[in-house]
Amino acid sequence: MIIMPKAIEIVNFSYKYPDGTVALRDITISVEHGQKVALIGPNGAGKSTLLLAMAGFAKGTGKVLVDGLLVKRKNLKKIRTLLGSCLENPDDQLFMPILFDDVAFGPLNMNLEAEQVKTHVTSALQTVGLVEMADKAPHNLSAGQKRAAAIATVLSMTPKIITLDEPDGSLDPRNRNNIIKLLRSLPQTLIIATCSMFFAAALADRAVLIDNGHIIADGDIRKIMSDLELMTKHGLEVPENI
Amino acid sequence: MHHAYIDKFAYQDSPVHRLDSRVKFLIVLIFTVMVISLPRTSLSILACYAVGPFAVLVLGGIPLKFVFKQILLVSPFVLILAMSCPLYDKTPATIAFGPFLERTTLGWLRCFAILGKFIVTMMALIALVSTTRFNDLLVGLQKLGLPKLLIMQLGFLYRYIFVLIDRAHHILQARAGRRMRNLGFKTELKIAASMLGSLLTRSIDTAEHINVAMQARGFNGNWNTLSKLQIRRSDCIFILTSACFLLSLYFFVGPALR
Repeated sequence: MIIMPKAIEIVNFSYKYPDGTVALRDITISVEHGQKVALIGPNGAGKSTLLLAMAGFAKGTGKVLVDGLLVKRKNLKKIRTLLGSCLENPDDQLFMPILFDDVAFGPLNMNLEAEQVKTHVTSALQTVGLVEMADKAPHNLSAGQKRAAAIATVLSMTPKIITLDEPDGSLDPRNRNNIIKLLRSLPQTLIIATCSMFFAAALADRAVLIDNGHIIADGDIRKIMSDLELMTKHGLEVPENI
Repeated sequence: MHHAYIDKFAYQDSPVHRLDSRVKFLIVLIFTVMVISLPRTSLSILACYAVGPFAVLVLGGIPLKFVFKQILLVSPFVLILAMSCPLYDKTPATIAFGPFLERTTLGWLRCFAILGKFIVTMMALIALVSTTRFNDLLVGLQKLGLPKLLIMQLGFLYRYIFVLIDRAHHILQARAGRRMRNLGFKTELKIAASMLGSLLTRSIDTAEHINVAMQARGFNGNWNTLSKLQIRRSDCIFILTSACFLLSLYFFVGPALR
């Protein structure tokens, strides 16, 4: 019997900031391929740091495996083609003068042929509905378009896993619903760090509640989010869509 | 963001816009060198040189009002330099306007030459950036052999200058919203310094995040882009026309007017 590696497997992972503040304590978690997982928790809980650890940007103690590959210097190149990271601020994610080049940045670094790069870029832009904006500068895009564009920069690398840090931040309801629709349509494994319980409930089927660097709860999103006492204790709320 | 972008007309479509960025850049470079190397007494020749960028601006559909606004925007620095000339160089000089002779000083001649050269070269520069998308310009410069690191820095500068301006604007708005009285020069200076500090800290933060975003997408120090430039017949015609214009100014019109 062939055992498929898990999309993400983290075992006893702890991380301290350079100033000594402990951000993550003894985290153990695994995510199957195709799952849509919401990392929920109050501000400063350690959600973003956990996402950075998955991409190999936060090096702590313990083990982090991406699709069976141990996160270490030697494997980083491969890991970053398997796992696409979308940062919290799309202005940090979109750093090229025009959108096309931004979406092409990843595929070009994967050493794909020019024609392949173009196909990847067009496909990614089509998925997020921004084909017509390909020649625009990122500062000409609206907040919603920037979010979608940031997702396209990752999609163009055809990763198996996508991590998104607060993808609904400062979006109006229409743009938020568009992003929900877009993310729901993606076949990849999604790990979304968010403070918006509505957004998490609309998108994910599993929730991991983190507070003060610990995993407090892990399981069915509806079950966790309907526990009013648990949610209130950790500075969260039960969303209307639960 | 609602900034008056320097390249806001670069996304238009015209025969000049469709020209290869390398060709436009090189011609503007040669033009600028020729204008700068003109003697200070060649004011009438300068007017002939101005015809070139003027024609490109008109062909490219760039409003002249926009051009003059941009020139005015950067003129204070040059004005200070130009206006200081008559103060230190009072050597008498005579200038001819057709049959009329006017007595003046070398300082004033230098002043007008600086202003004239500034206006003409600025017109050429505005014609370049208003008819060329910044990204195409960067690709062109890279093709011309400029170091990739410099191209990357220019790209970041263009991308983030607007973000930085926005942030500075927000900080100033936050300050204005709580500014109830004048706190005196020293305190205001202190506040301005801390505002600058905050801007710097946030810029460093942004730089770190961009680094993460780049590495997450496999950046290994090599700056790769898909080149889309190609020299076409229209570029050859532009090169030929510009060469005729510049050579005739240099060899025939210039000496005739001197």
